[in-house]
Amino acid sequence: MGNWAVNEGLSIFVILVWLGMNVFLFVWYYRVYDIPDKFFYTRKLLGCCSTRVRRQLDRNLTFHKMVAWMIALHTAIHTIAHLFNVEWCVNARVGNSDSYSVALSKLGDRKNESYLNFVRDKIKNPEGGLYVAVTRLAGITGVVITLCLILIITSSTKTIRRSYFEVFWYTHHLFVIFFIGLAIHGAERIVRGQTMESLKEHSVKFCKEKITEWGKIKECPIPQFSGNPPMTWKWIVGPMFLYLCERLVRFWRSQQKVVITKVVTHPFKTIELQMKKKGFKMEVGQYIFVKCPTVSKLEWHPFTLTSAPEEDFFSIHIRIVGDWTEGLFNACGCDKQEFQDAWKLPKIAVDGPFGTASEDVFSYEVVMLVGAGIGVTPFASILKSVWYKYCNNATNLRLRKIYFYWLCRDTHAFEWFADLLQLLETQMQERNNADFLSYNIYLTGWDESQANHFAVHHDEEKDVITGLKQKTLYGRPNWDNEFKTIASQHPNTRIGVFLCGPEALAETLSKQCISNSESGPRGVHFIFNKENF
Amino acid sequence: MGQIEWAMWANEQALASGLILITGGIVATAGRFTQWYFGAYSIAAGVFVCLLEYPRGKRAKGSTMERCGQRYMTAVVKLFGPLTRNYYVRALLHLALSVPAGFLLATILGTACLAIASGIYLLVSGVFC
Repeated sequence: MGNWAVNEGLSIFVILVWLGMNVFLFVWYYRVYDIPDKFFYTRKLLGCCSTRVRRQLDRNLTFHKMVAWMIALHTAIHTIAHLFNVEWCVNARVGNSDSYSVALSKLGDRKNESYLNFVRDKIKNPEGGLYVAVTRLAGITGVVITLCLILIITSSTKTIRRSYFEVFWYTHHLFVIFFIGLAIHGAERIVRGQTMESLKEHSVKFCKEKITEWGKIKECPIPQFSGNPPMTWKWIVGPMFLYLCERLVRFWRSQQKVVITKVVTHPFKTIELQMKKKGFKMEVGQYIFVKCPTVSKLEWHPFTLTSAPEEDFFSIHIRIVGDWTEGLFNACGCDKQEFQDAWKLPKIAVDGPFGTASEDVFSYEVVMLVGAGIGVTPFASILKSVWYKYCNNATNLRLRKIYFYWLCRDTHAFEWFADLLQLLETQMQERNNADFLSYNIYLTGWDESQANHFAVHHDEEKDVITGLKQKTLYGRPNWDNEFKTIASQHPNTRIGVFLCGPEALAETLSKQCISNSESGPRGVHFIFNKENF
Repeated sequence: MGQIEWAMWANEQALASGLILITGGIVATAGRFTQWYFGAYSIAAGVFVCLLEYPRGKRAKGSTMERCGQRYMTAVVKLFGPLTRNYYVRALLHLALSVPAGFLLATILGTACLAIASGIYLLVSGVFC
């Protein structure tokens, strides 16, 4: 068995604590309404309890989605519960219920009485319920924000997110209406309980069976009620404020000037933008959000930085796949053949940089870097940075060995990255340290004719596709073999495994890390780090 | 914006509406609310909408991810030919289905959601633009 706890332990712990808190709060507030006398008559009338919507803690994408599903679940529970409440309260008001509830509903009709049943108009169901929904603040806000939530959820499914980003992005901003509506949802205070003063004079235990004598005997004056104040705003106002701050910071950052110093078009619809911004500092593998007002005034898109911190500019490689990237392609003049003047380049706004797992690369002696397709971009930054560090002061560098795996479907995507690998390859040889970086490029989408071509040229010194000394391999890597070989070559070491690629590969690598790690504190340990956008 | 196939979102929205109709219908029927037969209708309409919308239509551009096991429903849906293929008919169908559920508070959310889905399908059908 492997070192499961090291890899998964922290995330599982956080999620369990959070779920535990959810369960605790649910049970706690259930008991708040279920037990005390203050809500005895309320319970008789409603027969149910209230729930709370979870607070928003935005830590990362997975957590965000979990919170969203929790909100959806609790919205469903809350809505269903209140549907029953409204139905029964309306029925009690119009006399279509047991006599106790009907009597309770009559409270408030006479002078000096406060009402318990929030339904005051005597309109019978189903119109009564619909009337409540459109005239009471809780009803209106409830319907509106639930609709917003549903629209947000349907536009956030994987298909819509990946294919029609604008629909997802703009619809998601309905959350503003959701949270404002949520904060004021309880402002009308329609859930009512007996007041403290009334509880002192009117004991529930003694008087509950004597409803016909209320107001006639001195032990049981008519009970008085008041509404519960809204509570949810206390939970959400903090996070809402933090989010507002974040957006303000982004706006301020977007006003800072960013200059495009160079635009390079690469094969297979990839462009590289080299930029400069005053005071911009980055670490390896970080990403930035980019906005191009010429293309879209509102959209911000994330891109991994492909330059190293040691360089005096920062760069991103962008693949042209949709509306926004195509717009950027045209705005930068990439569709034109002639040389473009610098002043023609569009204005760019940059937010970031933001950190990812790649920063941890330098804390290991041995690393396995796996990039699938365009997922190789953070590793461009890492390899360049490793190279600069190696050149400047090799002894200070903790990293001794890099195993680099690049999985790619077709050959075109190699070009810009192959240049980098070629440079590194040559430099390593000059310094007699050809073993520092061992890379494997896997062509996962090869066909018959390519295979034949390779078979014929197999014995040549340089690889026919990339021009590199280390040959291209075909098909998918045998991860089990790779891990076992590396484990045997580096016993008693902590090996960092970094992936930027699809979910399926993440699961495979994660399992391999767990099963190939030894369980004791000594022995080889594979630590899995994943980044995904 | 022109490249967005809104029908994909309409499909997701309609599928969600079906589920909401079923849930609201169950609440109204199980709780024996006044005029609960609207709730029973809502369950039936919800099931129908879910079955109709489960197969994800083929996108005009790019590859389409099929929903798990959708080919069985696809065979049935295809039988109705233009009735199910045409987005305008589908928009009208959803609008008509959503109306009776609007009579109960428990199912009115389903009405609103299905009406929105109908609206998106109407936009896509090419009738207006």
